[in-house]
Amino acid sequence: MAESPDILGDLHSRFPEAIVGLTPRPPLLAGEGVSRQPTADGVPTVWVAAERLAATLGYLKHDAPQPYRLLYDLTVIDERDREHRAGQPASDFTGVYHLSSLERHSDVRVKVALTGEYPALPTITGLWPAANWYEREAWDMFGVGFTGHPRLRRLLMPEWWEGHPLRREHPARATELPPYVADAGREEREDETLQFRPEEWGMHPRRADHDLMILNLGPQHPSTHGLLRLVLELDDEQIVDVVPDIGFHHRGVEKMGERQSWHSYIPYTDRVDYLGGVMNNLPYVLAVEKLAGIEVPERVQVIRVMLCELFRIISHLVFYGTLASDLGAISPVFYMFTDRERAFEVVEAICGARMHPGWFRIGGVAQDLPTGWERLMREFLDYLPARLREYDRIVLNNPIFRARTRGIGAYDTATAVEWGVTGPGLRATGLGYDLRRQRPYSGYERFEFNIPTGERGDCWDRTAVRVEEMRQSLRIIRQCVEQMPAGPYKADHPLTTPPRKERTLHDIETLITHFLSVSWGPVIPPGEACVPVEGTKGWYSYYLISDGNTVSYRTRVRTPSFPHLQMLPRLARGCGIPDLVAILGSIDYVLADVDR
Amino acid sequence: MLHAAPDAGGPLWPLVVYFLAVLLLTGGIVGVSWVLGQRHRARTTDEPFESGIKPTGSASQRVSVRFYLLAMFFVIFDLETMFLITWAIAYRRVGWAGYGAMVLFVVTLLVTLAYLWRQGALDWSPRRPLPARGDSPDGVSPH
Amino acid sequence: MASLPTEPPAGASSSSGILVGKLQELAAWGRRNSLWPFNFGLSCCYVEMATSLTSRYDLARFGSEVIRGTPREADLMVIAGTVFIKAVPVIRRLYEQMMEPRWVISMGSCANSGGMYDIYSVVQGVDSFLPVDVYIPGCPPSPSAFLEGVMLLQKAVGQEKRPLSWVVGPQGIERPEPPSLRDRKREDRRRTMILRSPDEV
Repeated sequence: MAESPDILGDLHSRFPEAIVGLTPRPPLLAGEGVSRQPTADGVPTVWVAAERLAATLGYLKHDAPQPYRLLYDLTVIDERDREHRAGQPASDFTGVYHLSSLERHSDVRVKVALTGEYPALPTITGLWPAANWYEREAWDMFGVGFTGHPRLRRLLMPEWWEGHPLRREHPARATELPPYVADAGREEREDETLQFRPEEWGMHPRRADHDLMILNLGPQHPSTHGLLRLVLELDDEQIVDVVPDIGFHHRGVEKMGERQSWHSYIPYTDRVDYLGGVMNNLPYVLAVEKLAGIEVPERVQVIRVMLCELFRIISHLVFYGTLASDLGAISPVFYMFTDRERAFEVVEAICGARMHPGWFRIGGVAQDLPTGWERLMREFLDYLPARLREYDRIVLNNPIFRARTRGIGAYDTATAVEWGVTGPGLRATGLGYDLRRQRPYSGYERFEFNIPTGERGDCWDRTAVRVEEMRQSLRIIRQCVEQMPAGPYKADHPLTTPPRKERTLHDIETLITHFLSVSWGPVIPPGEACVPVEGTKGWYSYYLISDGNTVSYRTRVRTPSFPHLQMLPRLARGCGIPDLVAILGSIDYVLADVDR
Repeated sequence: MLHAAPDAGGPLWPLVVYFLAVLLLTGGIVGVSWVLGQRHRARTTDEPFESGIKPTGSASQRVSVRFYLLAMFFVIFDLETMFLITWAIAYRRVGWAGYGAMVLFVVTLLVTLAYLWRQGALDWSPRRPLPARGDSPDGVSPH
Repeated sequence: MASLPTEPPAGASSSSGILVGKLQELAAWGRRNSLWPFNFGLSCCYVEMATSLTSRYDLARFGSEVIRGTPREADLMVIAGTVFIKAVPVIRRLYEQMMEPRWVISMGSCANSGGMYDIYSVVQGVDSFLPVDVYIPGCPPSPSAFLEGVMLLQKAVGQEKRPLSWVVGPQGIERPEPPSLRDRKREDRRRTMILRSPDEV
């Protein structure tokens, strides 16, 4: 991944007063006087003053050469307990703005130092509409205010919750809080809180001659694919407005990262995109390996790629089947789930579990591939293409399916980038941007595969892109099977967890290190790293901040479905409810991916 | 009274028996079901089901006039069916004159149907553009 | 737990004739073979529950032919997934809107006890506020495990005696003692000597 020292030089020359210097000054890069915070992943990171934040970000978005048009992530770090800050400006809370440029194929991180117990930042919803939910989440989780935000309310926690969970003083475990006791008064109060009040959202359902109906397409609904609440404002059968209410699936994965060792956190990553299996482990272990400085052997890379692509197919099959079933085609989901069972036979043989294998490890994978795995994998590779051709006939080119998805929920590339849409949702608009091609990781550069794109960015195009992606994944897996290199399945590095055991029983130093690594956990050197991968649904990464401990200091999970779902009101206004169902299915989100 | 008039086509009492049997059957089904089984009533049992959330607004609100239009169309075309069935029972008796009257009737309604179809009265979910919301400049609501 | 439905005191007799008893058995047999689940999925376990409805596992052959979208028509609520604190009033409301007879299966570790999510936003077990009939362990339980749980429930439902009418007849629900499969399978587990190695397939 190429670094872009010139962007920091650029910023320094345009906003000299904005850049907050680091002390002591780190080694200068080519260019003058650029104070850059070193990070383990090489992403240019700069600190700016809060008053100049909007101007700086506006420059980066509009005026910089090859601008950073995509708002990748917006989050906060609670720095109050952190020790290893390597000369960074004094800060109680740090606002982090992570932008991405699709032309430079690289990112930039802008940080703002805030002091005080409940500081505030200016809102950037004027620059990116996608910042809306990110700022609400930061307020909900940290208590950091955003002045000028149109409607700063809690996003993930219930309205009646007191406290901000990701602050260091907030208890993490449910057992540290009083247990849930259900009494009639409590349930009634929570019911009342959940009830929708249109005036709080600027809605006026009373019209001149009729009333608009407020309807909950609530947490329990077959078409929402999980616990998602959509409050619809309906004018007879047309949707006037939609308010998504998320947080019903919030499992505190980011807080859990601060309570689990680097190694024991891996199963929690599996369950973030619960259809993605080991695809979730990949960004996490890549980030930890970046922090620890581990280079994995080639065999590990190819195994990881192979299993990730297999899980991409598994996830897309669920998308395909459930979208078809939402639109009324009941049979295809049965066929596709049968295909998934075939894929799970391979997964179970290699990883030991079906949906949540948790099989990748820091520095490698859990075990070597079992003998006979090739036969299983080839059987699956020979089995699926014919089924995909049949699904083309009965689903993709089905006249009813086409009538219900063509022209529905369409958006163009510029809109997609504005709203932070990545993955198949972006490629369906015509832009063939795939992290596996443009910013390869884990050895993807050695594989040949196409990047399918669409034209109109409507529901049908998103489906067609994913179907073709399944075929390309099969192609990648076949190349993995044919080119699987021999070698170790774990890196030979002291921080590999669990460590390699060959010399453990031979000398005492290895035994001690092994014991500490297995019992206490590896101590990852201080630093920050974030490695975005092309997940099943879009760009997916774990921004890890290590304080030189066995536990992560801050784990920020940037998931693709969060911005995708934020775009829903924009797509659904003016549609009928059946079209809303088609749009929901075509976005391909998973609630655990949205709420974490 | 149970003996029919000379040209009515048959006795009337089977109809009465049939009517009573229907009453007995439906009454039995509803009545026995009402008596059988368990009951429970909790705080929210009698509230409308709305995906697990307490509903906003009442069910008896002022609905849009489009529903009324659709209901009217249904009633009209349903009555047409009723007339057709009535004619079908007696088509021999009314002969060609009756057939001619029926054709006129159906053609009139067919023309009406074509007119409604062209007017768009049968389009249920038209994609009409919505006015921009007051909150934000470009109609993109900041939810 | 004041919000649970009240049960008759243990030992209350419901015998009032052989006819009533036989009719109750007949009704129980009908109920056990037509348990209609409620379409309510919370989390990852729901994907495995949905898998068990599809062709390879096919819950329909056990009588769960239809999965109902509204609680009024459903018999069985499977809490498939983590019980989030924001979702508790929703789950409670849906449970109250289900008609008797109704049963609850707690599927997966998160629903049983909070699972690996001992975190501020997760209730540690759905039995904090709902009466549970069968607990299915697993994270997620494979579809075969889910089917085993449903079969256990069917067996229990077939042995229940419920009132035939809310107007006349005995009003208590007699349930069999729920077995612990951990105890039942202990001997089998002890006897298992040969475990397949993961090194070859």
